[in-house]
Amino acid sequence: MALQGTRLAYKEYMVEEYVLTKEPFYLPVADEVQLFEAAHAQKVPVLLKGPTGCGKTRFVEYMAWHLGHPVTVVKRRSSDGDSNRSLPLVTVACHEDLTASDLVGRYLLEGGETRWVDGPLTRAVKFGAICYLDEVVEARKDTTVLIHPLTDHRRILPVEKKGQLVEASDGFLLVISYNPGYQSALKDLKHSTRQRFISLEFHHPPRELEKEIIRHEAGVDEEIANNLAKLGEKVRNLREHGLQEGVSTRLLIYAGRLMQKGISARRSCQVAVVWALSDDYEVQRSIEEVISTIFP
Amino acid sequence: MAETRFSLDPWQAELSAYPAVLAAEAKKASAAMARHLATGELENWMQEGVALTRHSPRSWEASLDYFRTSPLVVEKLAYPFLLHWMHWGNRLAQASPTLAGAFFRASQEMLGSLSPRSLGDWAQMALTLYKGDWRSTSIASRFLELSPRILHYLALPEAGDFVRFLDILGRHSPEQAMECLGVAEGVLGGLERQDRRGFLHISLVLVEHQWRDARSFFQAGAKVMSRIDRGSRERFLLLGETLARDHSATALSFIVDGSQSLDQIDRSLHASLLDWAADLLKTSPVAATELLKSCPRVLARIRGSDLQSWVDRGRDILAENREGGEAYFRLESQKGEDVLGELSKGVDLEKVREVLRMYCEALSGSPIQILPLQNLAEKGIGWLSQEKASTEGTTLYLPPYVDKYTAPRGNFDWFKVLVTHQCAHLEFGSFIFDFEREGHVFPNSRRERAQAKDGGAVDMERFFDLFSDRVLGRDIFTLVEDSRVDSVVKHEYPGICPLYRTVQQDELGRRPEQATLPLREAFLEALVLLSLDAADKAALPPDMAPVWQQVVAVARQVHHPQASVEDSAEATLRIYDLLSQIPNVRHQEEPQSESESPDESGPEGEQEEESSRMPGQGTSEVPYTSPQGVEFRGEFKPELVQLLNKLRQESRQVGSQATPDTQSMQSLIEKSAEVEKGKPGQPTQASAFIDNLLKEAGAQPLPTPGEGHGGGRNAPITPGTALSREEPLTFLYDEWDMHACDYKPRWCRVREKRMEEGSTEFFDHTLQEHATLVNQIRKEFELITPERFRRLKRLEDGEGLDMDAVVDAVVEMRAGVTPTDKVYWRRNKVERDVSVAFLLDFSASTAEAIDEGTRSPQDWDAPDDPRQYLAWFRSRRLEEGTRRGYKRIIDLEKESAAVLIRALETIGDTYGIYGFSGYGRENVEFFVVKDLKEAFSDTIKRRLDRIAPLHATRMGPAIRHAVSKLDGEEARTKILFLISDGRPQDHGYSRDGVEKEYAIHDTKTALTEAKHAGIIPFCLTVDRDGHDYLRTMCQDVAYQVVSDIRTLPRRLISLYKSLTA
Repeated sequence: MALQGTRLAYKEYMVEEYVLTKEPFYLPVADEVQLFEAAHAQKVPVLLKGPTGCGKTRFVEYMAWHLGHPVTVVKRRSSDGDSNRSLPLVTVACHEDLTASDLVGRYLLEGGETRWVDGPLTRAVKFGAICYLDEVVEARKDTTVLIHPLTDHRRILPVEKKGQLVEASDGFLLVISYNPGYQSALKDLKHSTRQRFISLEFHHPPRELEKEIIRHEAGVDEEIANNLAKLGEKVRNLREHGLQEGVSTRLLIYAGRLMQKGISARRSCQVAVVWALSDDYEVQRSIEEVISTIFP
Repeated sequence: MAETRFSLDPWQAELSAYPAVLAAEAKKASAAMARHLATGELENWMQEGVALTRHSPRSWEASLDYFRTSPLVVEKLAYPFLLHWMHWGNRLAQASPTLAGAFFRASQEMLGSLSPRSLGDWAQMALTLYKGDWRSTSIASRFLELSPRILHYLALPEAGDFVRFLDILGRHSPEQAMECLGVAEGVLGGLERQDRRGFLHISLVLVEHQWRDARSFFQAGAKVMSRIDRGSRERFLLLGETLARDHSATALSFIVDGSQSLDQIDRSLHASLLDWAADLLKTSPVAATELLKSCPRVLARIRGSDLQSWVDRGRDILAENREGGEAYFRLESQKGEDVLGELSKGVDLEKVREVLRMYCEALSGSPIQILPLQNLAEKGIGWLSQEKASTEGTTLYLPPYVDKYTAPRGNFDWFKVLVTHQCAHLEFGSFIFDFEREGHVFPNSRRERAQAKDGGAVDMERFFDLFSDRVLGRDIFTLVEDSRVDSVVKHEYPGICPLYRTVQQDELGRRPEQATLPLREAFLEALVLLSLDAADKAALPPDMAPVWQQVVAVARQVHHPQASVEDSAEATLRIYDLLSQIPNVRHQEEPQSESESPDESGPEGEQEEESSRMPGQGTSEVPYTSPQGVEFRGEFKPELVQLLNKLRQESRQVGSQATPDTQSMQSLIEKSAEVEKGKPGQPTQASAFIDNLLKEAGAQPLPTPGEGHGGGRNAPITPGTALSREEPLTFLYDEWDMHACDYKPRWCRVREKRMEEGSTEFFDHTLQEHATLVNQIRKEFELITPERFRRLKRLEDGEGLDMDAVVDAVVEMRAGVTPTDKVYWRRNKVERDVSVAFLLDFSASTAEAIDEGTRSPQDWDAPDDPRQYLAWFRSRRLEEGTRRGYKRIIDLEKESAAVLIRALETIGDTYGIYGFSGYGRENVEFFVVKDLKEAFSDTIKRRLDRIAPLHATRMGPAIRHAVSKLDGEEARTKILFLISDGRPQDHGYSRDGVEKEYAIHDTKTALTEAKHAGIIPFCLTVDRDGHDYLRTMCQDVAYQVVSDIRTLPRRLISLYKSLTA
């Protein structure tokens, strides 16, 4: 709740009021857009699987915007009059200390009183926003249990401390992402959780597509974009060897952006790809050799 | 001539006492002598001859020699000297008639080189050697016999040295002296004149100080000297002499091994090397010797000009720590390795192999191995070269070392170009040629040309069948395909173009002179140049231009980025059509009629047509030789690779018993131009060849299991060299040399093996036996698990408000005190996050019976408690089944492991159970009973059953390997639990096999390394006298000694519990 009447030097939104105003750039690889549309319409929670930096978050953003545009299903309480708007999107990046209270809400002390503050999940539920729990396995186990009643026919969120149940608004959709790359037994998604979502699998985009993405996102020319995509493909060949995951499209875009600013190609790739990927000297060297083979 | 007639009569009587031959010889000799001597002199001579017979019963034989040789001798000696001669003969006869006989017999020849004055010296030498016994007699007489041939090479003082040498050696070992004498002629003759003196001198010094080495040295003599630069020989001998005098033990090694090494290096370096050696000698004779011995290996890695810096660094280390310096020069120290790496401009394949492998894997997207070329040549499957990079479809083979350029980067780039090219063959499909498939650039002309519908074991063979001249076809295809691959690489990988330009430029410098080539070969050479982007350098006769234009037009088309291997094949067919028309004649006399319509006629029948045309020109064709290979492209054998790939595929099809069609393979091999026939190293029989190929294809997916001592490729390792890793699941580790205070690089090879499987009976039985313990443990361990979350109170921030604290705060506020803001609580995760690796000792000593001697092995632990007794009885029964009436240490280790597994399964920790043993540093066996990542199953139970005592205890590498396994774990607490039965020991794990400190220190270092890696090491030993060495070994590592081994299972568990609590 930004203070009224005061111009702030920064933009501050309540989580549920944050909407995308510009169409995010997203190139569909397959039918994921239609699938998501259908899931949203049917209120089926969605699990996005895939390696880091392959476009999961971007996809959710795109879908929030996309769903808001053709069909205006959400009744909104915002002061803005624009009706053709993106769906509100509440994104929570999960980390290992994220607890249930962080999502649901907690009492805060204010003066001599306690005051209840809704957590982001509660707000999204009340507001009917898309709630995106990024890297959900990172969060503590108790959080995953919390989302169970939200993801079946009940669509309710128990707020234990207040002794309340919050029913989800129509537009509410829970989307979680999960990276199967970490092969640690500790960080695996429990089946009871997994089986509440439809799963969309994401992979690194094929070379041609990735080239387009890089070209668009980094603003580099076709040749550089092609070389970067080529590099991505080559480095991903190494996935099983010391590298848990291949290089993400995001990193390739970063490399392209650095080049755009006049940094030499090899150096850009070194900082954006090599050093970002591995600390192992030999892996670093071999990727550097691949880079110097591809980039003049 | 004589004043009075000489008569034999006065002596006749005496002579007749001996065999008649003596008298006859005397008569004959006297007649001859009479021509040279006066009567008085003659009588004197005769008198002397008869006197000889009197010394001993057999001395008449000497006398016989005297008479026989006198007539010859007298021709060379004036009477006074003859007297001299007779006198010495007599002296020798007094000692031994054998000597005298030898003396006389050798005299005539001897006098050819010996001045008559020196006769006495010579005889005296023999007397020096003579000691009065039969052995020395034979030495002395042999000396006399051989003298004419030996002393021919020696001046008198040198001869004196030689005799002294023989004398001393003979006193120690007459046999050796005889041997030296026997080879002396060859040895001394092999030496250059000016070296002989020094050589004899040092031999003498050596025999004086270390006679045992003398013979070896003497025999090696001539070779030793010739290996050393002439100007440095004296210096070398001087050093050898110093060594022999003071530190005789290393002298021989210095001279023989040192000279051998010197022989392998540039002679201009000898002088400075010897200077440095002399300098080192002051501190350590060993270092001086090792310097020489190591220099060829060092020079293989660094340039001569950098040698000085290498030696200097070593000298500094030597000054600080003698052992360290010696190890440095022996090339057995990490520091030495580092310095070499620093100075080295060349690049070792071993060092960059992993980088290159990943590089290739990235480019090609398929798993690729990289191995030194030698491995390929050894397979005997058609590749012979030790220099030319190549691939057989799954593995890239590269030269082991590159030193072409002055900068390391240049040399690495060379490797990079080599692998990029070889890898491109794989990436861009050189080996997936399909006879039927269309190309992208050329229309398919193969189908019309093919005579047989089907044929050949592989498509490549079918393709080559289209050429009547297979070699030419192969050469053109190789060039075209190589150049296609290179152009795709350049198109696809712009970054590597500069490197390609460099190597192409360098290649141009290596190309042969075109003017000397016959015409067809000149065309091929021009094609090579074309492929190197240097078509303008092609120098063909002007009238050949039209043909050449056609060739170029075809060849250029494969540079299209879309061109495939099939296009290369098509291009080859077209170029072949053109080139097979070109006669292979020398330039000047090339026929005019060439360039006309080479298109129409098919390849078949070409040869005859050609040969019928050619003679008319009055020129003769030169046999065709393939163009010189382009170095960076290495070797390309598509036919063999296709065959191998096909075989691999067949062998991979599980269950298919289809025997490979050896007949078609045989015909392929016999036809193939890729198999160089009749070369050494190539199997002569096609069948042997096929065997190798089959083995190669079949062995590919499986690692060779359980290799024994002398197993196949496990060639014995020469002492003192770093090892290399050549098989999967082998790992190399450094070893700590306490003397040198440095690591010996890549010193131990650990082979990881899965334990074989037995039955699960043992496991179940053990648990039954220890049922009480197991139950107790389970209860104890279950108590550990639940403490997973703890509520932390009074925090500034947290999950919720801590109501007690809130009340306090409100009270304080009301009371007007500043309230605390620590009113939150949070649950803190205290997850148990433990990975533990148990490392069990499988050494032979664990076969020892427990409590040997204290009780009879029959009832060593019969418990008093009847319940336990039953269990014990059952276990004894079980063991009797395995022919043992007693428990061994290893049995208890096994039982402990079983109980432990049960406990760990309860608690849920990640754990691995490993065992180690081995023999020697190249064979440290590391057995996996349960890998950290494996889940517990019956397989583990079965593996546990097969644990048995094996060989020695080399702990260091086993610990290092276990550490590397734990390193891959993410757990917060990592524990390495070492259970052994005594001190580490192994062949070569200690100096001279007696000093135990070495092994202990290496183990200690390994444990310290574990600590540095964030792993908690813990040692448990069942050696009752363990304390003293454990204190050294585990200085800051926790350890315990189990004095009563029977308590091992329980102790282990309680230790584990306290360790991880």
